[in-house]
Amino acid sequence: MILSVRDLKVSFRTDAGLVRAIDGVSFDLGESEILGVVGESGSGKTVSLLAVMGLITDPNASIEGSIRYKGRELVGLPPRELRRLRGNEIAMIFQDPMTALTPVYTIGWQIAEQIRAHRSISKAKAMERVEELLAEVNFPNPHEAMSRYPHQLSGGMRQRAVIAMALSCNPALLVADEPTTALDVTVQAGILDLVRKLRATHKSAVVFITHDMGVVSELADRVMVMYAGRVVERGSRMELFSDPRHPYTRALLGSIPPLTGEKPRRLPAIPGSPPSLLRLPQGCAFGPRCPVHYEPCATSKPDLGIGTHAAACFRVAQA
Amino acid sequence: MSGPMTDKDRPILETRSLGKRFSIGTRFSAEGLRTVHAVDNVSLTVRRGETVGLVGESGCGKSTLARCLVRLYDISDGALLFEGDDITSKSLSELRPLRRRLQMVFQDPSASLNPRRRVGDLVAEPLRIHGKLSSREITARVAELFDLVGLLPDHVMRYPHEFSGGQRQRVGIARAIALNPDLVVLDEPVSALDVSVQAQIVNLLADLQEKLNLTYIFIAHDLSVVRQVSTRIAVMYLGSIVEEGPAEEVFAAPAHPYSQALISAVPVVETTPTGTRKRIILSGDVPSPLKPPSGCRFHPRCPIAVERCRTERPELREYRPGRKVACHFPTV
Repeated sequence: MILSVRDLKVSFRTDAGLVRAIDGVSFDLGESEILGVVGESGSGKTVSLLAVMGLITDPNASIEGSIRYKGRELVGLPPRELRRLRGNEIAMIFQDPMTALTPVYTIGWQIAEQIRAHRSISKAKAMERVEELLAEVNFPNPHEAMSRYPHQLSGGMRQRAVIAMALSCNPALLVADEPTTALDVTVQAGILDLVRKLRATHKSAVVFITHDMGVVSELADRVMVMYAGRVVERGSRMELFSDPRHPYTRALLGSIPPLTGEKPRRLPAIPGSPPSLLRLPQGCAFGPRCPVHYEPCATSKPDLGIGTHAAACFRVAQA
Repeated sequence: MSGPMTDKDRPILETRSLGKRFSIGTRFSAEGLRTVHAVDNVSLTVRRGETVGLVGESGCGKSTLARCLVRLYDISDGALLFEGDDITSKSLSELRPLRRRLQMVFQDPSASLNPRRRVGDLVAEPLRIHGKLSSREITARVAELFDLVGLLPDHVMRYPHEFSGGQRQRVGIARAIALNPDLVVLDEPVSALDVSVQAQIVNLLADLQEKLNLTYIFIAHDLSVVRQVSTRIAVMYLGSIVEEGPAEEVFAAPAHPYSQALISAVPVVETTPTGTRKRIILSGDVPSPLKPPSGCRFHPRCPIAVERCRTERPELREYRPGRKVACHFPTV
């Protein structure tokens, strides 16, 4: 097992009260497996992965639970130790590549710096490796691209440069947070293709965060659906998309307009909007928007339970 | 001509070889003063009651075209006709009476709503500027508009920040329809919203169109949303329309290689093993509109380009009633 997260809880103290961003999340990730994490803004998908990366440095944050990487506990690990892992064994790709690159150095320099921070090799050797990496992420002219500054590249090329940087030390775990959301669909298709290819060549395990059900269905081996800081459903790609169980998963899939066939006159929309994390309902967080909620939903929170395909819903448990 | 022209057939908006150029840099900058053709030779007809969806990658000129259509930008070339009346070079004061009939909804509702004013006040503003209503009539109309867009009556006293994204977009829509417009340009109206809220707004727009007999021009990068709301689609590439036709037809059988690649790239939820849907992955990026390629502007990325495509630019021509394509070798 590459990554094993147990009962992770992250909360932030704010002037308005305690924000429970993550409320008991558990999951496992095996070698060269792609886990898709789907959810809307505020569902906790990004915060849970920032916690894994040890990137929550807010003094008002409290992190509980356990995050084990190859059996080693990451919660409470000193920053020095974490830095040794980050960028080396665990790499991350963010939504906006411009914030991950500095505008004042060439991308070749930046990727080489990353390699030299973790490996003791000469500058020339590092530059050779950079050229290989840029070729691997499909830069048409890798040698020339090395001397380019981020602003001289298109959004898709910048994201490819960031992916090359993430891969530079052959990470065992790659965390991608909405890496294609800011890109056009045509460019997105190329990046998804690349992630699939890299999983095969580098054997990296990938956690892919997105709000797009279509992207998950094309990429992930297993899927985790999050809502208001909790996992509401998990399962393999086939299980989740051919037999969605949680009312939220079902409603979300139902509200996507079809790309082929008959157009529905109206889309089956989910009423209301996601709850504020400051004022979560006492029972199931989806209860107020749920078409099938009944008495137990208002008073207690349903558990996800065990099994590969599971949904945190009293109705599902009952059936 | 056979039979009288019905109201539905009459174009409400028409562009004839419309173009929009922007100047970049100065005479003293390194590259000198340069011109970008953001919109180039667009002829589009919009009929009353229909929804025309504009799609294409970022930088293809769809938002620029939309802003030209409501004269938020001055038009550089060609002509813009509203109900047959040439409004290409009308002055701002001449445009004023038209503004109430041409409205726009923007992507980010929090950027287009003044945070320091109550939303009731924001919705009343166009009524005060354009209408001749008493303050009591304005209050009644605001209440009516809130009801139409699905907001509660007591929401009028709230400030924009007290609303969720979906509710804020409802306020933006209420403002746009306050003066009973004929045509509303919607520039990415659901892109900033949560997935679970998008469908609500899409449905609301459809209801309003039916109730108020509105004509829409709809821009979104989410192609499945565009297909859902549009009766007709225009696919744009580097400032020009490359394909046009009924929404469902274009999606089911795109004729232009670019439309084919664009539509095939949309990730869809599939329950079958991956790889069943054929995907065309385009090589390279959208070329800079500063240096558009010769001939067909799509040829450097086109999987079926030949020598002719490098030299001769294909015209947008109608190959079947209602279906237009700009390609030497369309799939028809």
